[in-house]
Amino acid sequence: MKNNKIFFGRTGLFVAALATTLLFAFTNHGGGIYKTNTGNISFFSHTSVEDISAINHKVKTAFDATSGKIQFSVLIKDFEFEKALMQEHFNENYMESTKFASSTFSGIIENVGSIAFSKNGEYTATVKGQLKIKGVSKEVSTKSTFTVNNGVVNGKTLFVINPEDYGIEIPKVVSNKVSREIEITVDADYKHAH
Amino acid sequence: MKKILFIILILLAVAFVGYKMYNKPHTDVQSSEVLKSFSAAELFSVFELGEAQSMAQYADKVIAVTGVVYLEDFSNDLEPQLVLKANGDNGYIRCGFKPIEMSKLNQVKEGQNINIKGLCKGINGSEELDLLADIDVVMSNCIIIN
Repeated sequence: MKNNKIFFGRTGLFVAALATTLLFAFTNHGGGIYKTNTGNISFFSHTSVEDISAINHKVKTAFDATSGKIQFSVLIKDFEFEKALMQEHFNENYMESTKFASSTFSGIIENVGSIAFSKNGEYTATVKGQLKIKGVSKEVSTKSTFTVNNGVVNGKTLFVINPEDYGIEIPKVVSNKVSREIEITVDADYKHAH
Repeated sequence: MKKILFIILILLAVAFVGYKMYNKPHTDVQSSEVLKSFSAAELFSVFELGEAQSMAQYADKVIAVTGVVYLEDFSNDLEPQLVLKANGDNGYIRCGFKPIEMSKLNQVKEGQNINIKGLCKGINGSEELDLLADIDVVMSNCIIIN
């Protein structure tokens, strides 16, 4: 009887320890990798003469909710403009997108620890990293908004760039049509990767 | 007088051509001829082995691809997508469709064979970006052939 008690006691302890371990392993604490292949990226150039915009719906992006590492990659030729001629000029004259096919970002969500990815809410974060456009990498820092809604994390990040910093030359004849402050917005619904 | 009329006519013609060029339409995939047909595995491998050359040959061209539907990715309403198996666990063909194609996409089943025509856009993802894991050859403005 006494032995049995010890036996059950030990088993009980073991079961409790196992249950605790499993609970920690399988409860979604909001850690891990979140990703999507269908994020949106758009850019907008405003001048008094002309507004130019384009959008792409196949942004490949992911972040690590524990380390804060965040990355995206996008194909330049997949930006769609309202006017086919503008799209052609963008690809051939400005971006040379046959040669520089993709644009990427690799950085860190600085205050990732303050975002509860398992709890609905809106969080502001600072994102810092290397933005590569047309083969030129530049250190950038910007604000992101992460909105958690039942497991889906929407991340919105705005980059404001000067095309000339990335070696994109703007011919004199269209100089007043292209802004030196182009707004690039990444808007993606991330899901926990299993 | 005749001279003035002639000049006006020339100016009008130039303006018309200019206007037409400015408003030229996007490539109509439906009515365009297919430059080349690939199996999903072939398409992935030509881009994986030689991105620069493949971009020069096929980017923004109408191509066709045949493969097995791995995933129906309708997570972005603005561009529903089908993902075809191409290279094991890390290489896929990602085909984007206009939302107007949704009724046809709803009849597609994962695991079925499919033949798709669309504009080739390049290869997305790289080993440097370790979080992104898999790599896709991307097509846009796709339509289902059968």
